[in-house]
Amino acid sequence: MSKKLTKVVELTGQYAGLIAFAIFTTFPFLWALSVALSEDPSNIWLFPRSFLPTDPGWAWFVRVFNEIQFMTYLKNSAWISLCTIVGTVLVSVLAGYPLARLRFPGRGLIFIAIIGTMMLPSEVAIIPNFVTLKHLGDWSTALLGFKLTGLNTYSGVFLPTVAGAFGIFLMKQAFEQIPQDLIDAARVDGAKELQILWRVMVPVSAPSIAALAIFTLVNAWNEFIWTGIVIQDKAMLPLSVGMFNDLTGPFAVSTSMVMAGIVLSVVPVLIFFALTQRYFISGLDGAVK
Amino acid sequence: MKNSSSYTAIAYLFLAPALILMGLFTFWPVGYNAYLAFNDYSIADATATWNNFAHFKYLYEEDLFHSALKNSLLFLLVVPVIQVSALLVAKLVNNKLPAMTFFRAAYYIPVITAISIAGVVWLNVYKYDGILTWFLQSLGLIDEQVNWLGEPKIAIYMVMIFTFWKGIGYYMVLYLAGLQSIPTEVEEAAILDGANAWQRFWKITVPMVKPTILLCTLLSTIAALKSFQEVVVLTRGQADTYTALYYVYAQAFTNFNFGRAAAAGLVVTFFCVLLAVLQFRFFGEKK
Repeated sequence: MSKKLTKVVELTGQYAGLIAFAIFTTFPFLWALSVALSEDPSNIWLFPRSFLPTDPGWAWFVRVFNEIQFMTYLKNSAWISLCTIVGTVLVSVLAGYPLARLRFPGRGLIFIAIIGTMMLPSEVAIIPNFVTLKHLGDWSTALLGFKLTGLNTYSGVFLPTVAGAFGIFLMKQAFEQIPQDLIDAARVDGAKELQILWRVMVPVSAPSIAALAIFTLVNAWNEFIWTGIVIQDKAMLPLSVGMFNDLTGPFAVSTSMVMAGIVLSVVPVLIFFALTQRYFISGLDGAVK
Repeated sequence: MKNSSSYTAIAYLFLAPALILMGLFTFWPVGYNAYLAFNDYSIADATATWNNFAHFKYLYEEDLFHSALKNSLLFLLVVPVIQVSALLVAKLVNNKLPAMTFFRAAYYIPVITAISIAGVVWLNVYKYDGILTWFLQSLGLIDEQVNWLGEPKIAIYMVMIFTFWKGIGYYMVLYLAGLQSIPTEVEEAAILDGANAWQRFWKITVPMVKPTILLCTLLSTIAALKSFQEVVVLTRGQADTYTALYYVYAQAFTNFNFGRAAAAGLVVTFFCVLLAVLQFRFFGEKK
């Protein structure tokens, strides 16, 4: 009997801890949601009353859609993220294959150089990259007559981020686990290296590629500093920068509207997370080993 | 693995996109940043002139840069707190009880939210009449309302709490992966031997996840030294909250003094590489 009692006490303690910590990680969003749903903002600074909406309704969300270019930002975020994912997966798969499966002079040195970049603070590269991008833009305008890349272009946002040690390392690890027999069989059938990569390695490594794509998506979607520096045109900004600028600038006076904007910005992330939750744990697991 | 020289061309062809992009945007900046650090850079006509270490002399004298470095070191306080909490939380969610998926997800939400978006909410949490003031008042810990991000003595700690809130889920997942590799028999045997939860935690869990603890400590030490996005979002450096990288950022894009920013960036790079080498040796010896 007393054993059962200790078990109950232990379980209660465990759940109390879990719930307390869940409140800590989610209370800012719960409050934001409640404020955004309160058409009457008079109670939003009255705690704990403000965690329940006063006069619930959608009015503040409607105002966000009408007064902030939310859909434009959302579209820009999606487009930037898509380009970053395609670029990162392409570059990492192409670079991971020879590092994992081909023997050639300079292989060890290249691999160490790529892994070594992990210790450099990438934030320090912001200034040189800003200057480089400005020059690339000027040269591209002079040579081609239009801005292929440069400041205030999307390629300027994602090109510096697509070749990273994390992605290349992840793909190298995935390719190393594929049995050599599969590759040898394809070579006997006369397959070229690109065909082996595309028809053998890539399909077998789909889970790793999915994990890389999801991580890249989260990073690209949330990227804030570099995008804010490169993109000057307001209509080209993604959510992370555009909403921040609007909500801390012209709309900061209305807390209700700020919170409605926050909730709308978080919802796409939550939906995506709910759909892909398993990858966050398994993907990280693979990266650690 | 095939050993043939005919693969050299194809290997470099496959590596070309990665090498070109990394060369341009990762390796070149290291050299160019070092070059800028010793020059006065004019943005308007893109010219650099040698200035005889003027930036470094300036940084050596300047109080703001000193306090930025001090704050970056102070940020290391986050490391032990976040590591111990993340391991404890991972331990709590690592079992087969109902609703664990829900709790894991709830702890991970701050990680996947953009720092700018999360920061806007926390700006309101930290307002003088916000949730934090109310919470501490109702616990009877403080009497009057406090502008949490405006007081020079406490603002930097408030930024750290935000960093803790934002990052703990990330380390929790890493620890969870480590915990799941511990065979359940080990813990069951310890329970049979009469070890209590406290003993089991220190004698079994901690030694078994030691590699993960080392990895996470390394990651969060580097992250703490490099923290500046939270400063951009929360305080913009007001109330003594400059960190080393925020100094770099502000000098470059508020003052438009690229040379001085590059010099400060070089100092940060030096510390980061030094730390990485130290940790590398440490890990090397462990193996």
